[in-house]
Parts: sequence; C-alpha cells; structure tokens
Amino acid sequence: MIPLSYYVTVSTMMFVIGLVGILIRKNFLIILFSIELMLNAANINLVAFSHHFGEVDGQVISLFIITVAAAEAAVGLAIIIVLFRRKATTNVDELNLMKW
Amino acid sequence: MTPIMPDIQLIAIFPESILAIFACALFVMDPFIARDKKEQLGYFSLAGLCVSGVSTLFLWGKSISTFSGMIALDNYALFFKTLFLMISALIILMSIRYIKIERINLGEYYGLILFATIGMMFMPSATDLLSFYLSLELMSMSLYVLAAFMRKDPKSIEGGIKYFLTGVFSSGLILYGVAFLFGATGTTNLGEIAAFLQENGVTSSLSLIMAFVLLITGFGFKISAVPFHMWAPDVYEGSPTPVTAFLSAGSKAAAFSVMLRVFINAFALSSGNWWPVLWVIAVLTMTLGNLVALVQTNMKRLLAYSSIAHAGYLMIGLITASQIGYAAILIYLVGYVFMTLGAFTLIILLCSANMKGDQISDFKGLARTNPMLGLVFIIFALSLIGIPPSAGFVGKLYLFNSAIQGGFYWLAIIGILNSVVSLYYYFRVVQVMYMDEPNAGTVLSFSPTLKVALGITAFLTLFLGLYPEPIIKAAIDSVQIFL
Amino acid sequence: MGTNVYGFPLLSLIAYLPLIGAIILLFMKKEEEKKIMQTAFAVSIVTLAVSLLLIPGFDSTTSEMQFTEQHTWIPSLGVSYAFGIDGISLLLIVMTTIISSIAIVSSYTAINMRIKEYYVSILFLETGMLGVFMSMDFFLFYIFWEVMLVPMYFMIGIWGGGRRLYSAIKFFLYTLFGSLFMLLGILAVYFLNADPQYGSGQYTFSVLELQKMNLPLHPLQFWLFLAFFLGFAIKVPMFPFHTWLPDAHTDAPTAGSVLLAGVLLKMGTYGFVRFCLPMFPEASVYFMPYMAGLSLVGIVYGALVALAQKDIKRLVAYSSVSHLGFVMLGIFALNTHGITGGILQMVNHGVSTGALFLIVGMIYERRHTRLIADFGGLSSKMPIYSAVFAVTMFSSMGLPGLNGFVGEFLILVGAFEANKIYAGIAVIGIILGAAYMLWLFQRMMFGPLDKPENQKILDMNRREIAYMAPLIVFMFWIGLFPRPFIRVMEPAVEKIVQRLKGAGAMAKQESEEKSVEVISKNDKTVIAARIDPEKGMID
Repeated sequence: MIPLSYYVTVSTMMFVIGLVGILIRKNFLIILFSIELMLNAANINLVAFSHHFGEVDGQVISLFIITVAAAEAAVGLAIIIVLFRRKATTNVDELNLMKW
Repeated sequence: MTPIMPDIQLIAIFPESILAIFACALFVMDPFIARDKKEQLGYFSLAGLCVSGVSTLFLWGKSISTFSGMIALDNYALFFKTLFLMISALIILMSIRYIKIERINLGEYYGLILFATIGMMFMPSATDLLSFYLSLELMSMSLYVLAAFMRKDPKSIEGGIKYFLTGVFSSGLILYGVAFLFGATGTTNLGEIAAFLQENGVTSSLSLIMAFVLLITGFGFKISAVPFHMWAPDVYEGSPTPVTAFLSAGSKAAAFSVMLRVFINAFALSSGNWWPVLWVIAVLTMTLGNLVALVQTNMKRLLAYSSIAHAGYLMIGLITASQIGYAAILIYLVGYVFMTLGAFTLIILLCSANMKGDQISDFKGLARTNPMLGLVFIIFALSLIGIPPSAGFVGKLYLFNSAIQGGFYWLAIIGILNSVVSLYYYFRVVQVMYMDEPNAGTVLSFSPTLKVALGITAFLTLFLGLYPEPIIKAAIDSVQIFL
Repeated sequence: MGTNVYGFPLLSLIAYLPLIGAIILLFMKKEEEKKIMQTAFAVSIVTLAVSLLLIPGFDSTTSEMQFTEQHTWIPSLGVSYAFGIDGISLLLIVMTTIISSIAIVSSYTAINMRIKEYYVSILFLETGMLGVFMSMDFFLFYIFWEVMLVPMYFMIGIWGGGRRLYSAIKFFLYTLFGSLFMLLGILAVYFLNADPQYGSGQYTFSVLELQKMNLPLHPLQFWLFLAFFLGFAIKVPMFPFHTWLPDAHTDAPTAGSVLLAGVLLKMGTYGFVRFCLPMFPEASVYFMPYMAGLSLVGIVYGALVALAQKDIKRLVAYSSVSHLGFVMLGIFALNTHGITGGILQMVNHGVSTGALFLIVGMIYERRHTRLIADFGGLSSKMPIYSAVFAVTMFSSMGLPGLNGFVGEFLILVGAFEANKIYAGIAVIGIILGAAYMLWLFQRMMFGPLDKPENQKILDMNRREIAYMAPLIVFMFWIGLFPRPFIRVMEPAVEKIVQRLKGAGAMAKQESEEKSVEVISKNDKTVIAARIDPEKGMID
C-alpha cells in the first residue's frame, strides 16, 4: 500500500510548481497550464484522502473538479483569443495600461 | 432490490431552477432576435428575475436541508437570494442603455448575468464543500467573461485577463484548501466539519492549518482584502461599468455570504480564536483602501478602492464573531449594495457616444446643470461615509455596535478614523459636482430604465436609513441558524 | 415621561416646517429669485411664530420634559422617535428660530448667485439645528447633529470667500471626527445600559433612560466622558480644538457665520449640559479642573489673538472662542449660578455675536473689504450704524445694562464659588475683551476719515435696521429684565445641580477616604491650587 503521505507530497509538489508557474511565467498559455496543475494537484489530494478514509466523497468532488477545470480552460482560451486578436501577443507582461 | 430514493427536495432549488430555465430560454431565443432589439432579452431576463423573486418570498420561513446535506434553504439563504435578485435586476436596468452605447449589445450579456446570479444564489445555500465551490465557480466563470466583454477595448481585455488569472488562482487555492479540509476531517459537509472541530480542536493537525491558510488566502482574494486586493482596481476600471457594479456589489455580497457559512462552521469562528489574523487583515484593508482612494482621479478606480475599504469594515463583523456581528454584516451589505449600485449608475449616466465618463473631471458642475443628480450623489456619498440619515449609517452603527459589545474598541476607533478619511475623497467629488464650472458638451444618456434604477437605489438608501426595521429583523432572523 | 399641553406634535411641526419650506423651494424655478427669497423668509417667520407658541404652554415650575412626543421607531435597536424640551432647550429653540429668520433676511442683498440652492441650504440647516435641541433619543439626536454638517459645508464652500473650499472641508472633517467619537460613546452607553448592573437592563437609545444610569467613575465614566467631550469640545470650540473656527467663520458668507456662531457653536455647550453633566456626573466633577483650565486658556488665548487680528471677521471669530470659554467655565463651575450663567450666556452670545457678524457683513457688502486698516472715521458718515455697532460692542464686552453683563456676572459668581483663581483669570479675559472691542471700534469708527472710498459710504437702510432691531431689543431686554429667561431654565438647572451634588458627595467621600491631608478653606485654597474637585460643590 502506498502511504498517504506519498500522495500528499506529490500533490504538494505539483501545487507548488503550478503556483510558481503562475507567478513567474509570462506566456498566458503556460499560466493556464500551471492553473491546471494546481487544480489537478487538488484532485490528487482529494482522491488520496478519499481512498484513505474509504469514502467516496472526495472522488465525487474530483470528478466535478475535472469538469470545472475544463470549463475554466475554455473560458481562459476564449479570453486569450480576444487579446491575441487585438495585440498578436500572448505575453501577459504587455498588459500594462492600468497602473496605480 | 428497491432503488434507494435520493434525498432530493426540488423545492429547495426552485428559485434557481426558474432562473435557469429563463437563462436557457434566453440563449435559445437569442439568434432569433434582431440585432438592434436585444433589449427585449433584457426585459425578458427582468421578468425571469421577478418570477424568481416572487418564489423566494413565498419560501420565506422554510428550513430545509436537502441533496444529502449539500443545499440548505433557510432564512439566511433566502435573505441573500432576494438580495442577489434585486442586484441583478438593477444591473440589467443599468445595462440596457449602456451596452447599446458601447456597442456590446449582445444577448449573451443578459444570459451571463443570469447565470452569474444563479451561481450567486446557490452560494448562501451551500452547506457542503463541493456545493459552495461549484456555485463559486459558476458565478466566477460568468463574471470572467463579462469583465472582458468589451472585446474592442484594450482596458476591458486587460481587466478581463487580470480578473481571470487572479480568479482561477484563488479558486485553485480554495480548492486545495478544501482538499486538505476534507483530508483532515473526513467529511465534506460543513455541519459535520463543525462537529469534528468541536471535538478535536481547531489546530489539531497540520492539514487543518494548511486548509485554513489556503482558504483564508483564497477568500481574501475574492473579497479583495489586503494584501490580496491588487486585481480589484484594474478590473473595476477596465470592465464595462455595469459589470463593475455587479462585481462590486454582487460578487462581494456573495463571497461574504459564503464566508459566513464556511467560517462559522468549518473554522469554528464563534469560538473566538481567529480574531488576530482577521484583525490584521481587516485593519490593513480598511486603511489601505481609504488611503489610496484619496489620490485617485478615475471614478471607477476610486469606487474600487472604496469597495476594498468596505470589505474591511465588513470584516469587523467577522472578527467580533457574535450574533450581532453577523447580523451587522448582513445589514451593512444591504445598504452597501444599494449605495454602490447607485454610485455606479451615475457613472453610467455620463457614458455617451464620445466620452467614457469615468474620470472625476467628467463630473464637473454636474450638480449645477442637473440638481437632482447632485442631490442623489450626496445621498450616496453620505451613505458611503456613514453619515445619517442613510442606510450606510445604520450598517456602520451596527458594525461599530458589535465591535464595542465584543470589546474591540481599537477596531471601532480605526473604523471611525477611516470613515473620516473617506469623507475627504467622496466630498472631493461632491465639490467637483457643485463648485466647478460644468464641462461644455456633457451629454447625459438618460434612459427610462436608468432613471428607474437610480430612483430605486437613491430611495432605498435614504429610506433604509430612516426605517431600517424590516431589514434588521430579517437579518437577525437569518443569523439565528448560527446559534 | 413628560407632558404635552397642546396634544398635537408641536415640536415636530417646528422642526419640520423649514424642511417642508426647503422642499417647496426645490420645486420653484431658480429664476424666480424674489419669490424664492420671500418664500424662504415667510417659512422662517412661520416657524418663528409657531415656536413662540411654546412659551405660553410652557410650565416653568417643573423640570420634566414638556411637549413630548414619543413613538417607537426601530424596536430591534431600541430607537424611538422622541422629542421633548425643557427650559434650556426652549431658550435655545426660540433663539434659533429668531436668528434663522434674521439670517435669511440679511442675505437678500449679500447673495446673488445660485439663490435657490442657498435658501434651500439655510432651511435644511434650520431643521437640523432645531432637531438637535429637541431630540430625546440618541439616534435621532445623532441624525440631526450630522445632518447640519452638509448644508453648512455647502454654504461655506459655494457662497463663501477666501479659502472657502479649504475651510469648508476642514470644518466638515474636524466636526465629523469629533462626532464619530461621540457616536462611539453613545454606542458604549447604549451597550452598558443593557447591563442591569449599570442601567435599566434593556437596549434603548432614549436619553431619559440613559440619564438614569449608574456608572462607576473608573474606567467607564472616564472614557465615556472623554468620548463625548471630543465630540462636543470640537463644536464649542474649546482650545485646542478650535482651529477650524477662524477659517470657517472668516470664509463663510455672513448668514453662514451668523448661524455658525449663533447656533451651531451652542450645540457643543448644549451637549455638555444636556448629556455630559447628567449622565456622567462623577466624571464631570473629576474633570472639572481640566475643563475649567481649558476654558480659561480659551478665554485668555482667544482674547489675546483677537487683539492681534487685522481682519474684522477673524477678530470676531476669535472673540467667539473667548466668549464660549466663558460659557464653558460657567458650566463647569458645576453650581447653579455658573450653569445658569453659562446657559444665559449661550443665548447672549447668539444675540451679540450674531449681531456682530451682521455688522461686519453690512460693511463688507458696501466696501468688499474686511481689513480694519481700510476703515476709519466711519461714524461721521454712518451714524445709525455707529450706534448699533456701539450697542452690540458693549453687549459683547459685558457692559452692565446689556445682556452680556448678566451672563458674565453669573458665570463669575459661579466660578468664584468654585475656585477664586478661576474667577481671577476670567476677569482678565473680560478686560481683554473690552480692549479688543474698543480698539476695533475706535479704529473703524473714530479717527480721521482718510480713505476716499469711505466718503460715499451709505448708512443702514430700512431692511438692515429692521433685522438688527430685534437683536438690539433682546440685548436690552435680557440686560435689564433677565428674570423671565432665568426663570424658565431654573428647574432644569436645579435638576442637573442636584445630580452633580450627589456625585460630588460621593466623590468627596471617596477622596476623603483616599487622601490623608485635610484641605482648609481660606488661604490654603490658594496653595492647594492643585484644584480639589469638592470645592465645586459648595453653593
């Protein structure tokens, strides 16, 4: 049996990678991937805990999260297409019209 | 083998179902309506909101927990549902003329508002980790699209992207926190989590602490508390003004409605150990919001920072963690919604074919050409500062009352000092309206629906200040569930 | 409870008549200027007349609240809509209606832009002022208290002169700051009242209920007194919270200054008499030396700075600080003579300083300057004006025969009873007051008529004589026959003094138990200049 802590460690690493990715990367698509990483990290966590408790709740939530992630990706891609049509770039740093 | 009947009482989601039917019907009808007649869809969605509103009124007094404990229908939920329906109705009234001027007159706009409302309406009913997360996401998705709705305007796109990124980031944090909460307690039902925490104590395991940190951070983003507020001014400035109003009023009220349930149950807020962390956040939020608002020249940004400050005031109710504190949050939210929506309506009035209308200098001399508008803005300003007779004063009265009763004297004093500071920037706008020369060529885009929206918000802001009794009773009633 | 002689809500009528007038004015077209001015004046005269109806129905023998109206308003909060007056409020209400009418008439030629908005603002202001003096419920009181700020802000900011925007927002910010602290105090009192140990055990905002509370001195009464103190002291204004006053007074239009000095400042002192003394008697006794000290500083400082002013209006503004220092000294002498004198002086100050500002306004309308150096020798051209100015000046100085003397005398007696040193320092203030007033008069009215612009100056016209006349009449009336005015407030003042005596006796007991040495009465009083609170109790 794989101990629970292994799962949690993997998911934490994924989460942190995703977090750092969002904060550091400039390309919008990469940021979207990082977001997906974060959500999937949570998924792993949920499934692992669910297995640990022997309950099904966590896995049910997981399925819903997958759907939500898909929806988010769709919305995100739609928004970036709008940006791309205007400015031919996916670089987030170029969004600097509004400062203080 | 008899099939197990699932525990579903559809009556609990009746208002949302009605609204969902209207929303879907709207999307179906959309291709068949001529491009310049899309406001019919606006009226259609208003009708849907009214029907839904009537159904919530009929449901008052019920107390149901259904869908295996995921959805609860009680006075607390109904209070907020009614509030959200009113917010959406006012937003649609405000939008009809605006989106024509900004040439985003699409049927999807109304549909998205309806979906966002459905999401918001589910939020106060959510008594399970999954249901609150899903409803939060439903509302947020619709709002991401709405924020970027003006596709040709670079500021709107920028605002939309920033909102999207911060929004999904915070949703990710919340989700991870949910995962840990589940892992620590073994259940997703908020009530059962509360029972678990009572037995085992709030800091009994590392997972719990992680969960709390993540959840506070995530929610902090949603209500634009400091230091998670960076997105708010840009998003508020860039989005179409009715969407900004929706974000400012609706999304904040919805976030607070969920926070109350989650914090009180899942965090055992009433046990009183949370106040140091929340105290720091609240004080920072109030102070920074007010101080930065002092230097703004863009009206929408000013209102963004002011709404950040108001989130700080609302957190006072959370800190005091008492019945009266929770009731104070509800009462203040009602007043806050109307005064904010009213202030945004004034900005929309200034938006016309050749002018965006969101700079403070666009307001010059407005009260001299149009005294009614001046008077109306004074009512909103007084309410935002917290000067009687206005709904904002009653809300602040209750909040400070709860702070004093809880013994948080310094919090009350800081709240007061911040109110004094806020006087300065609101009255700077009043000053511009009354004492500067009017701009030549300022065209006010009045429309009947806009007048109705302005009238309703101004009237309610004043009326609830003079006769707040029904709201107070309803609020106190609603928080009985947290006893 | 109280009595209501007429059976119909007279007080509400008085309070809301100006509001109704303002709303009527809102519907009039802004071009019909004459009609607007006449309607505003008519409304204020009607309010004045109705307020005079209060006098015959008033019973001067009882300290009960009269003409009371009580309706529940927000039961969840314990708020009721309660109006009521006693002798003190009666004087102030009638004074307010009279001064408002005069202010409206005096603005006829002074204001010539945005006329409709101006008169709407004055009428709103009048409602706020009247409501403050009548409220018997804290929530209601606070509403009226704050409502006054907005019209005054506009009056200073739109129709004022000089640095009007700065003065207006300074006034608003400063006063709001104080009132919010007062709000905290109100909430604290509200909360404490619900504790059976201190009060009636229920949540209520009713002033009468809250006056019956029993709070220990430390720490509760101490902090609560300070909270209310901040709110009222800024309004009075007491040193060192007075810095908003010179700017606001100087930059406001004439009627604005008249109302500000005549009525708004009285709300601070009224607040002390109505709320601080009855609700926190022990704290009042405890703080009395500090309050007296600040008042004395205000008296002397205000007078000294007034002496140095080059702008007439600023001089009168600082003289207000000095005069209100006297009022506060009287009130915090904590004995019958002092408080009676203080309240009478409130009315007197309204009359005389109101008249002073009107006089300044008249000269400003003619010459558009307020610098003393621009005048000189005016008495030869403007005899009536000189006479009126002279009477007003003497009234403000406290010459016997005029109203100022009666008030100042009573205050001095009260202060003397409290502590002879106070009276001594206060007298210095009177001397300085005479100094700056006489010097001002001499510089403006006497001497050579050397400025050419002053050659063609017009004397007072009929309208101006008409509105100054009532004030002059009152100056003589109160000065020569003050009895009716004092009689009206006697019972109310007695009630307050009784409460203070009870507190003083308790404080005496406490400090006797604490302190080792016994203070003797005569010369040792001077040595024991580390003022002893019980001294205020000797009557």
